Amino acid sequence: MPFNGVPAEERLHWRSFLVKLGAENLKGVKNEELLVACHKSVYIVYTMLGDVSIFLVGKDEYDELALAEAIFIITAAVKDICGKPPTERVFLDKYGRICLCLDEIVWNGLLENTDKDRIKRLIRLKPPSEF
Amino acid sequence: MAESSGTTLMDLISADPTPVPAQSTSSSASSTASQPSPATASAASHLHHPMSTKTTLGEKKSKRATLMQIQNDTISVAKAALNPVKANIMPQRQRQKKKPVSYTQLARSIHELAATLDQKSSQKQLVNHVFPKLAVYNSVDPSLAPSLLMLNQQCEDRNVLRYVYYYLARILSDTGMSPGGGIPTPNWDALADIDAGGGVTRADVFPRIVNQLTSEASNSEAEFHARRLQALKALTYSPSGNSELLTKLYEIVFGLLDKVADVPHKRKKGVFGTKGGDKESIIRSNLQYAAMSALRRLPLDPGNPLFLHRAAQGVSFADPVAVRHSLEILSELATRDPYTVAMTLEKLASPAGALQDILHLHDVLARVALARLCHSISRARALDERPDIRSQFNSILYQLLLDPSERVCYEAILCILGKYDNTERHGMDERAAGWYRLTREILKLPEAPSKDKSNKTKRPQPLIKLVMRRLESSFRSFSRPVLHAAARVVQEMGKSRAAAFAMGLQDIDESVHVNAFSDALDDADTNDSSHPEGIRRTSSISAGPGRNETIASLLASLMEVVRTTVACECVYVRAMVIKALIWMQSPHETLDELKSIIASELSDPSWPAALVNDVLLTLHARFKATPDMAVILLEIARIFATKVPGKIDADVLQLLWKTCLVGAGSDGKHTALEAVTIVLDLPPPQPGSMSGMTSIDRVSASDPKSALALQKLVQAAVWFLGENANYAASEYAWESATPPGTALMMLDADKMVAAASSRNPTLAGALTRLQRCAFSGSWEVRIVAVQALTTIAIRSGEPFRLQIYEFLYTLAEGGVQSQLSEMHLSNGEDQGVSGTGLGVLITPMLKVLDEMYVGQDELIKEIRNHDNANKEWKDEELKKLYETHERLLDFVSLFCFIPRAKYLPLGPISAKLIDTYRKKHNITASSGSTDPTVVATGISDLIYESTQPAPAASNSSGLDDDLVNAWAANLGDDGLLGNNAPAMSRVNEFIAGVGTDAPDVDEENVFSRPSVGYDDMWAKNLLETNEVEEDDARSGSSSPDSTGSVESSISSHFGGMNYPSLFSSKPSSQSTAKSSGSKYQPTYEGYGSPIREEPPPPYSYSEPQTRESFENPVAGSGSRSYESDDEEPRKSSGTRFGTALYDFTAGGDDELNLTAEEELEIEYEVDGWFYVKKKRPGRDGKMAGLVPVLYVNQS
Repeated sequence: MPFNGVPAEERLHWRSFLVKLGAENLKGVKNEELLVACHKSVYIVYTMLGDVSIFLVGKDEYDELALAEAIFIITAAVKDICGKPPTERVFLDKYGRICLCLDEIVWNGLLENTDKDRIKRLIRLKPPSEF
Repeated sequence: MAESSGTTLMDLISADPTPVPAQSTSSSASSTASQPSPATASAASHLHHPMSTKTTLGEKKSKRATLMQIQNDTISVAKAALNPVKANIMPQRQRQKKKPVSYTQLARSIHELAATLDQKSSQKQLVNHVFPKLAVYNSVDPSLAPSLLMLNQQCEDRNVLRYVYYYLARILSDTGMSPGGGIPTPNWDALADIDAGGGVTRADVFPRIVNQLTSEASNSEAEFHARRLQALKALTYSPSGNSELLTKLYEIVFGLLDKVADVPHKRKKGVFGTKGGDKESIIRSNLQYAAMSALRRLPLDPGNPLFLHRAAQGVSFADPVAVRHSLEILSELATRDPYTVAMTLEKLASPAGALQDILHLHDVLARVALARLCHSISRARALDERPDIRSQFNSILYQLLLDPSERVCYEAILCILGKYDNTERHGMDERAAGWYRLTREILKLPEAPSKDKSNKTKRPQPLIKLVMRRLESSFRSFSRPVLHAAARVVQEMGKSRAAAFAMGLQDIDESVHVNAFSDALDDADTNDSSHPEGIRRTSSISAGPGRNETIASLLASLMEVVRTTVACECVYVRAMVIKALIWMQSPHETLDELKSIIASELSDPSWPAALVNDVLLTLHARFKATPDMAVILLEIARIFATKVPGKIDADVLQLLWKTCLVGAGSDGKHTALEAVTIVLDLPPPQPGSMSGMTSIDRVSASDPKSALALQKLVQAAVWFLGENANYAASEYAWESATPPGTALMMLDADKMVAAASSRNPTLAGALTRLQRCAFSGSWEVRIVAVQALTTIAIRSGEPFRLQIYEFLYTLAEGGVQSQLSEMHLSNGEDQGVSGTGLGVLITPMLKVLDEMYVGQDELIKEIRNHDNANKEWKDEELKKLYETHERLLDFVSLFCFIPRAKYLPLGPISAKLIDTYRKKHNITASSGSTDPTVVATGISDLIYESTQPAPAASNSSGLDDDLVNAWAANLGDDGLLGNNAPAMSRVNEFIAGVGTDAPDVDEENVFSRPSVGYDDMWAKNLLETNEVEEDDARSGSSSPDSTGSVESSISSHFGGMNYPSLFSSKPSSQSTAKSSGSKYQPTYEGYGSPIREEPPPPYSYSEPQTRESFENPVAGSGSRSYESDDEEPRKSSGTRFGTALYDFTAGGDDELNLTAEEELEIEYEVDGWFYVKKKRPGRDGKMAGLVPVLYVNQS
């Protein structure tokens, strides 16, 4: 669920901004090396994982550091699902589960679950804590 | 929206079996276009969950999204094995060699598979192929809802169900088409409307989905509780506008909390929510989590005690995420009603309370929320009566400084610094208080009966030290987010520090030893153990080096580390570091380091323009916090202008110049203007004065684009100079320090320039630069320069006006070259063909000056005639004079703004007569003229509410009236010129040429003889009457070279830029008919003129014989005509006494401040200055120094 939490009218703007940002800065970046940017009061943290670039945008309490934490959770989840830094193909193959993970990590524009095991359980429709 | 649905509809309709690009992929499937299957045609919803109002943490956008939109071929990757769809997969040219599965195919499979759920293979297909592929589409078709609901009811497979909840939530959440990621999909609702039969819209399925999910969310079976969680979650995605649903949701959530929240729960430290514990409590904890998470997504209900109660209960829940949500809710509530929240949480905040436990909760955001909560409560005015509560929360906040997570620690620092008190009025106070707290307060860990061993450290520590250490270690990090965040924290520190200084917090002494504060609180049994997160403490070693740390030294060492961070390869981090440096720069420290950092940074081409302008705006904000820094900031801004002219926005730069110039105060104005003019990169008027010209000053405009941008900047600077030089130099014709006669006698150019620069170096410098611009540089720049010169000429008194007049005149004639090389040092550059093309432009400008001089001469003649004959002025004569006055005013107003009520185009000598006439005829000065067609009548009134001279009191109040007025006129506002006061913008419009549209005036007053020859002027001056001249003028008004057209062509260069002008700020010193009358008295001394009231101030004129060489016929004849029998030069010798006429502010070390009425002893005179001694030392302690002759009334 890309652009979760972004007002519809801003998405296009954000998309082009991020694409440009990525094109300019992501060349030769190591896997999971975090890059940071800001645009007015909004923070952007982004990284490269295999063939996939991941951008997180946030403001207020979701500053660079909170986003860095969230992106760490996301990359961990993606790696978990894909088994390694994903190629484009693998990523798309697993896209459904990745979406479910994201759905557990970000809920309505707010960070929700951060624990890897917990996320794993939740995407299989198991309760967050098991007995 | 219409477009996208249209496109897709086309896709759906088109039956082309080999569609290539993205959208057409869907077409292959729904080939039966006109009769789309119910699935395709149905209603509404999109993929995205746009939680519009929420914070946007969640935007996650990956290459996949982009890719998908751009090239669908990649999607086909995902296709592989989908059974029902398999048939449709065709070979594709892409490397996958497969055809993408269309949306319709997917939709159809869902319907089919839902019907055949009993087969295992169906479930497998759904989970492995259909659902994942559906995810790549932009939105979900509401017509899928029935099948999804069926799956939801009948399917047992958890994986299938999880997807079902996911897609149901997406259908619920849709709010409109969005150009987000994913493959674009149609607007389903619109599609359903078109398909009159059987279309399913979102509105159709919405109630069904909600009903089913609601009933699931209320299902209290233990085994079902995982599904309950997901059902509740999906429900929260529905748009918040639906109040019915909202009520239902509140009901469910509170019902759930009723059951699970009240059970007293023992928390097991360290193992939250994981294994252990009985089944019942785990289920409860899970449900608590579900309820609290849902509550967090519901709108706040601030007045509701139940809401608050439930939220507060969440603090003690076992599930860490639930605790986080509860704290977030509470901290939001606390910003609105801190008192109630504090009362509710009172017990929890106690040293053994649940809030203390959160300090060790393994959830970063929970602790962040805790910091904010504690901050709101500990700063709440409403809790003034309960200092105990406040200090409890304060103590928790301070403890968060020790948090192992940077995120939490920084949040605590920002809270302490007062960043979140954004209410305009209290913002500064809180900031200042924040800095005070940070530098003065002590963290004293509570002696809590906590089992946590790390809490053994009891020794109190100064906050500042903790913070500095923490930041320093952060700056050694390799993580860019950490560096960026740390720099941001330093920037916020700088802001608070600046606020503290601005508020004049008496106690700010950064050389105080930080430990001085903690010593008082020192416990005897100091235990020097390290902190939980490993921050070493040094202070407890009582004789250790740490003892001698001062705030200043701590700051210095921090800033050292900050500076090294500039080496980071990420421009955003570097920009943040530079912003931090700018904020931490104090007015008294040396600027060189910052300047060289910025200069070298800007040489890096990777800086985006947005970032550069952002830093410029930081300069602006910094200036607003500390106006003293105007000059420093301008110097920094200059680096931007010269280094990256192509990247900075001229508007932003102008804004900065303007506010800094206003704020620089009388002492700094000269420097401020200098800083602006450096942009012109012109050689200095005097050699050596800018010997420090380093590489910073060299313009780097190598490529054509930035060369063009630089030219724009130069234009802007020239314009700015013309518009504001008078302000900066405090030189106004209507309060000129120089009697006209005096200037007219400075007959040769060198002397004139010398006199001008000794009188007012600021203005003289500006003139020199403008003159240089007027014949070197591009044509555009020259035009603006000439325009600027005219503006200055009109607004300045003598000798500046004359100097400019002469310059313009020679420029028009083409003889500048030789003249200029005499006047100025040649820098060896090619100064261009003199006078090229500018003659046409200059003529009308010369004309206006001509008019004024001619008018002045006429007046002087008249005065002499009257005086000689001892005649009274007749009313008709006065009327004629007045009409000339008004006519000239109108004319002058075409060129630039002038205060009509004060401006005397006929020279100060006319003041008395004009005044007399006005009184007689009841014309108020403010309305200026009774002629309704006069163009600029209103302009001055827009700004000067009253045209009364400022009361003397305000002069001595210590406030610069200019500044006050400028701020009052909203000049200093940072609204990027957009939100100036209406009056200001009208003036600006006028200045930009808009005002010249006014009717009649153009016609009436434009004098457009393309070239007025020397002889013409001479003859006119001697022979013609005003009336004849006026006729002349009118006759020529239709020429395209008229003033109006020049004006507008020039202003069009700045079309829409609406440059700021300081000019409209009200001149400070009162300057009215009375004072000018006295100032200019000496000229008519001996004539018995009625306007003589006061004894003449002394003035030493230059030798009369030189006047023969003076080339200006107008001025020359004028001066000759009255001066000859009047001249009685006083030689400066001997000791005389006098009194100060006006306040005078010393502009240099050798000058002396004067207060009006002060008694003085005049030692000697030199070049228009008196060396005087006071009877007693002034406020500045100085006894003697130079003051302008005209400020002294000799007795």
